[in-house]
Amino acid sequence: MPAIQLEKLVKRYGNVEVLHGIDLQMADHEFTVLVGPSGCGKSTTLRMIAGLEDVSDGEIYIDGKPVKHLEPKARDLAMVFQDYALYPHMNVAKNISFALRLQRRPKAEIDAKVRDVAEMVGLTEFLHRKPGELSGGQRQRVAMARALAKDSALFLFDEPLSNLDAKLRGQMRAELALMSQRVQKNMIYVTHDQIEAMTLADRIVVMHGGYIQQQGTPEELFKRPANKFVAGFLGTPPMNFLDCEVVDEGGAMHAVGKGFRLRLPADKAAAINAHSGRDVTLGIRPSDLTFDADAARDSALNLRTVVSEYIGAQSVLLCECGGAKVMVEINSEKPVALGSELRFAVNPTGIHLFDRQTEAVI
Amino acid sequence: MSQSHQKQNPAFYAVIACLVFMAVGPVALMFINSFKLDVDIISGTGGLLFLPTIQNYETALCDVLWYELDHLDFCSLKFGGAFINSLIIALISTALTLVIGCMGAYALVRFRFMGRDTVSLTTLMVRMVPPAVLLVPVFGLWNNEFCLDKDGLLGGLIRDAFGGRGDVCLAGTHSGIILIYVAMNLPFVIWILQSFIVQVPRSLEEAARVDGAGPFQVFFLVVLPLIKPGLAAAAIFTFRIAWNEYLLASALSDRNTKTVPILIVNNMSEFNVEWGVIMATGMLLAIPPIIFTLLASRQIITGMTAGAVKG
Repeated sequence: MPAIQLEKLVKRYGNVEVLHGIDLQMADHEFTVLVGPSGCGKSTTLRMIAGLEDVSDGEIYIDGKPVKHLEPKARDLAMVFQDYALYPHMNVAKNISFALRLQRRPKAEIDAKVRDVAEMVGLTEFLHRKPGELSGGQRQRVAMARALAKDSALFLFDEPLSNLDAKLRGQMRAELALMSQRVQKNMIYVTHDQIEAMTLADRIVVMHGGYIQQQGTPEELFKRPANKFVAGFLGTPPMNFLDCEVVDEGGAMHAVGKGFRLRLPADKAAAINAHSGRDVTLGIRPSDLTFDADAARDSALNLRTVVSEYIGAQSVLLCECGGAKVMVEINSEKPVALGSELRFAVNPTGIHLFDRQTEAVI
Repeated sequence: MSQSHQKQNPAFYAVIACLVFMAVGPVALMFINSFKLDVDIISGTGGLLFLPTIQNYETALCDVLWYELDHLDFCSLKFGGAFINSLIIALISTALTLVIGCMGAYALVRFRFMGRDTVSLTTLMVRMVPPAVLLVPVFGLWNNEFCLDKDGLLGGLIRDAFGGRGDVCLAGTHSGIILIYVAMNLPFVIWILQSFIVQVPRSLEEAARVDGAGPFQVFFLVVLPLIKPGLAAAAIFTFRIAWNEYLLASALSDRNTKTVPILIVNNMSEFNVEWGVIMATGMLLAIPPIIFTLLASRQIITGMTAGAVKG
């Protein structure tokens, strides 16, 4: 079974380098999600693996075999496209069986395969319809069925859910997770949606500006982001960032910024001691702030509440702290007075410090 | 909508009636006159009061009718032969134009090569050259330059097979006319098909490549079925132009290869203009393009209902 390896992968368009030496290893049966904002190079990476883009430099190994110069069809992979790329002039059955028909498999085998796959994704009654007569979700299923029918070792997904409405997207996401458990293949999935990345991935690769920022399990990335970008990209609502300075006050390290003085936990204090700079950015997730009027002054932030966004069980409070915006996630059951200054306790394990110049975690 | 309940301005109907009259009038006139004797046509009395006769059609079709005509001593009008010439020339030139055109258009849209934009623009500019400008040089080339020596191997073979004197030239042959029609229509077809091929999503071709299709399979199995409406539209245009063309065919055809439009005009002599026969031939000339358009336009409609896939 194949393991995919990218070695110093570089992509240039003319003189512009968009991917700067990507090194990545994907283990067998792993669901890898490449995630990042638009233009970070994640789709380009995927298309290079698929063979739809030329590799400017570096090499791609599938199962230990260099595939850089192989045509897509020689790489034994299946791909689901963002716009589904269904052949409009063929009905669903023909769409699903296109690859098999090109391989000139026996008709009985093709029919059986189409039936199996159609049943797996729930399309049996639509086999004779044209893609134009299907809804968005059904088209999405056809695209997946087409990929499944090919029986490839490697599945590539290029933002497959981004054309669906929010409710359907959630539903398809769950189905996709189920499917990936069932078929046990190597999957590489590209998305800009961090929720998709978190829910589906065995391993997330966060990309930005043509570099890999960090890779690991969703939990690793969420709890121990390697830099400010990863910290801000994963998680909703996003992490709050406050500029501050670390000051030693009688042996205890404090993060001091506009409107707050926060005592750092021992491990962070040790880390900052080993670090050269004192100008840092403090990162706290909205869920690590809890309303607590009695909290000690040096383990809490005083925030002036501005707006409350009701989501349901949770509400997001938009607050202000010394000119900076801070978001707090609170339980909707406890109403909060807007326009007043309240004290929010900071979960000490939820404190992240980033170097203000390099933005790397301290 | 309140607008649909509103009474239309009478002037609106007047304009429409006027336009309909302008469009249908000449055809109706031709249709009516094709059933009149020349005497009735020329006398100009009573537009609709006449004794209809199919004599004109009989005269026009005299070389294909199976019975002797009483009113005609000698069948001078070879409509059947000209009709077949027209069909051969129009159909083959249309087919060739489409085959070359769709491939050329695909290459211009999808492949990156040096001078692509220039080529694309030049094809359109070639179209702007009026056929009359081509006439003299093409006539010269077809008669004198592009010839096979009658003593040569191939030329000798052709001369032995088809007879005749002199070198084997393009002038006067079906191929000569087909060739110039293809050249004339190709830029336009490429230009039409380009706009259709641009609309085929690139991801469809990529999906086909991932599914294991080679370049030709991508083209024939995915791209070509999707631009069928474009092919149909282009076919209608090329067929119509090739069918109606007069100027080049009049210079490049000979007695055996002349097309119907030339036959019609040849029917006018300085002594006598047989209006009735001209009208009848004109009506017959109009039938094939109508049939062809109906067949081809069905493709356009099915193509439109198949529709593009959008999320």
